Amino acid sequence: MAAESGDDPIRLIRQIADGNRDAFQRFYDLFASLAFTLAVRILRDRVAAEDLLQEAFFQLWNQAASYSQERGSPEAWVITIIRSRAIDKLRSIRRREKSFVPMERPGGKEYDRKVESGAEESEARLTVNSVLAQLPEAQRQVLEMAYFEGLTQSEIAERLKEPLGTVKTRIRTALTRLRELFGAKMA
Amino acid sequence: MDHEEWLERAEIYALGALDGEELSQFEEHLASGCPLCEERLLETREALVQLPRSLASVEPPESLKADLLRRIAPEVKVAVSERSGFRWAWWGLGAGALAAAGLLLVISWNLITARKELHEHQAQIAALQTQAAQREQLIQFLSDPQVRVVNLAGLPASPSARAQLLWNPLSRTGLLLVTGLPQIPRDKEYELWAIAGAEPVPAGVFIVNEQGLALFRLPTLPEAKNYDKFAVTLEPAGGVPKPTGTMVLLGSL
Repeated sequence: MAAESGDDPIRLIRQIADGNRDAFQRFYDLFASLAFTLAVRILRDRVAAEDLLQEAFFQLWNQAASYSQERGSPEAWVITIIRSRAIDKLRSIRRREKSFVPMERPGGKEYDRKVESGAEESEARLTVNSVLAQLPEAQRQVLEMAYFEGLTQSEIAERLKEPLGTVKTRIRTALTRLRELFGAKMA
Repeated sequence: MDHEEWLERAEIYALGALDGEELSQFEEHLASGCPLCEERLLETREALVQLPRSLASVEPPESLKADLLRRIAPEVKVAVSERSGFRWAWWGLGAGALAAAGLLLVISWNLITARKELHEHQAQIAALQTQAAQREQLIQFLSDPQVRVVNLAGLPASPSARAQLLWNPLSRTGLLLVTGLPQIPRDKEYELWAIAGAEPVPAGVFIVNEQGLALFRLPTLPEAKNYDKFAVTLEPAGGVPKPTGTMVLLGSL
């Protein structure tokens, strides 16, 4: 078995599209941990995150043939599917409960904690955290509220009691900075 | 509107935070085909992928992977379509030599399949449930003294394949047991043909599991045909009205 070449995610997706279960298993091994981490963070419910992970990977199995490299990296494909399912679920829970699910104070808490306990963190995570630590607090806050809590720009403005324009500018500046920072780090 | 504003919306859209009129307007704009916004959207998505990497890793349980693999295991298609006239209950209960032969087939089937699935006990449970249902079907089917066995041999395309068709010419129904056929891409299926003289009649489509096995119940075939040959070809998924692909199995009554 050519493990090295087989573990190229794009190649794996092509093999999955041909119904190759072994490729699917290796693809799962590559991304399940990151995907599950994100699902748990968004839903704050391990059992719900497990269901979501299974549904999302089943979707990946069924839609592998429609994946196109021009539309993004395999990682972005997986993460986008996970996140969009998790946010949909979160929003439907909120609609049902007619109130927001309790959420920790938004902001830099997650990132700060990571940077402090750096000794046990993986290199990749340290890199990401050091990049994120360069964002001003107010920008990280809106980014996190949108990305992990699934709040829209208007909802964020409402929660922070800030004008919508201010929130949009913060999001935009944070995203621009993120692209620049990660671009520079990854290059 | 200044295009820079569309790009701003593209970024907020990638984050999933665009809402209200801005969202619907941007979706229209994107649908109209804007390569710049498309590119910005992709770039932003790629950058955002880094965010989950900032989190302390949480591992999913091993059982989840096993469940998932079981879920994507090829299904043995048992019933393709149930047309009128097929009534298991009408069949007599007299068991003959054929029933005994059929039971042997059932036992072999269970052994072959079960032995290869021991390593994944959850998958095995699901498989055994399916097998139990299939065994029940076989026993019911074999209790009819009209049932005959047609052996199908592998052709040059699949020389190691073989199949037994338990065929009831009166009710024009049957059960096909296949071994040794290769697994095929998802856009393909095996199609069984019942041939009366020179005219092939479609008799259902099936796929094989990882071990190349399939147990497949034929739909009730059209009346007034004297089916004397049976063949399997490789066809596009869903089947075709006339054979177009390579023939892999052939046998006569």
